[in-house]
Amino acid sequence: MTRIVVPIGPQHPLLKEPISFLISLDGERVVNSSLRLGYVHRGIEKLAQQRTYVQNVYLIERICGICSHIHTTTYCQAIETLLGLDVPRRGLYIRTLLCELERIHSHLLWLGVLAKNIGLDTIFMYSWRDREIVLKMMEEISGGRVSHAVNIIGGVRIDLDADRLTMLESGLNDLNGRVEELIGTIERDRSFAARTRGIGKLTLEDVKSFCVVGPVARASGLDIDLRRDAPYAAYHELEIEVPVMNEGDVWARSMIRMREILQASRLAKQIIRTLPKGPVSTTAPRKVPPGEVVSRAEAPRGEVFYYLRSNGSQQPERLKIRTPTLTNLITLPEQLKDVQMADVSAVIAGVDLCIACADR
Amino acid sequence: MKMENILKKLIDALGLDSPTTMLGIPTEEHVLQILPTQLLSVVAKLGEYGVWHLSTITCLQDERFILLYHFWCFGNLTLRIELEPDDLRVPSICPLIPGAEYYEREVQEMYGIEFQGLPNPQPLLLPDNWKGGYPMRKDEHSNSSAAGEDRSKKLKGGLS
Repeated sequence: MTRIVVPIGPQHPLLKEPISFLISLDGERVVNSSLRLGYVHRGIEKLAQQRTYVQNVYLIERICGICSHIHTTTYCQAIETLLGLDVPRRGLYIRTLLCELERIHSHLLWLGVLAKNIGLDTIFMYSWRDREIVLKMMEEISGGRVSHAVNIIGGVRIDLDADRLTMLESGLNDLNGRVEELIGTIERDRSFAARTRGIGKLTLEDVKSFCVVGPVARASGLDIDLRRDAPYAAYHELEIEVPVMNEGDVWARSMIRMREILQASRLAKQIIRTLPKGPVSTTAPRKVPPGEVVSRAEAPRGEVFYYLRSNGSQQPERLKIRTPTLTNLITLPEQLKDVQMADVSAVIAGVDLCIACADR
Repeated sequence: MKMENILKKLIDALGLDSPTTMLGIPTEEHVLQILPTQLLSVVAKLGEYGVWHLSTITCLQDERFILLYHFWCFGNLTLRIELEPDDLRVPSICPLIPGAEYYEREVQEMYGIEFQGLPNPQPLLLPDNWKGGYPMRKDEHSNSSAAGEDRSKKLKGGLS
């Protein structure tokens, strides 16, 4: 039997970032697939060992262009723990607020990518139009649309006055209406269901054995969310609901992410209403005492893991970064088994890949 | 089951040293020192007790190479393995946790630790034609990559 091997990537219109798939087909059915990473490997872990703690905040922000804030959050809280710094509550709340705004922006971007990949260009245009609302909000408060440079060691760089809080609240209200409309559309739309239901399935056992994290895990019935289970920043003072579904297909992942947008917007409103008064940051010394620390946070795509080891100097001795995409990527060959060639694009988009994160 | 109870059961079952801690968020991370030969039995036992999530594998370079296996399951646990300087080999845990494949491949290519029984030992992040050493080792400098020199030669050849 002859098999055709179709290469997708490293440069391909389907992909937003470079990664290479080799997909072997029997007719239209995928029999086997493999992938290759490393096209945007920048050696950030090694670079971080040659820069000071403060310089690293800006280096680490550039690991990813979508979830830049969560990386600096995880990194800064690791150093703050090593220093034993008491970060002011207002600083932690603003940090958390940015985390949630970033989640909204990341999920809306993802919906656009999925819709584009399965040929629903209208949803793509609508979701990216609505994403502008949250991008503008972030630009207004931090000066940057995707790289905010908000986190500093010891707190945050920005403060929010009453005008900005009002602006955020009304922006979130606008956004909620738009997102609910989007959810209604994709829930009822028959072509969306036809392209996503039963595709790229992962069972609970698969998810556990591949150590999958984030919305992909929650769509297969694994009830984990670090914001609730290992709270960092200000999450222990906020009410968090974790949406979980059992279908484990691309449709369930879409629904989970859409509900997470609403949940993130509720969290953001909670933060705006209960924002404590006081300073937003505290001064941190340049040298960090020797020690080891493990820091985890829930990025839009799942658990981000940082391990930091200090030897008492101004530079970290070792910084290990593990991003959620690296973990979730490993399931792709499993998900692609037996799907039709036309659905490969939906499966690849369904995982919400961020290759720059995975390669570092 | 709570991580403290899991740890206690694990130590009783396999006769391990008592755990130490390192800093973590929001709670401290338990650290359990084990030998490379004990790795598979410890990971298998952890699986029995319901610890399924391996966050990643970190490699450190001191006088010796150290591997840290960071587990998370509603509590933190790190397994710490010190490798003998003349024997940089450790069994692969992929048969028990298939999700460990990329972590092991990354440590293998970046530090030159051999994971025995790794199903796919191909490079993960480095180029296929990489001829340099192990880039994350301390004696390796970021601007001395042999592959980089290779490529520049090729480019010159192509242009002339």
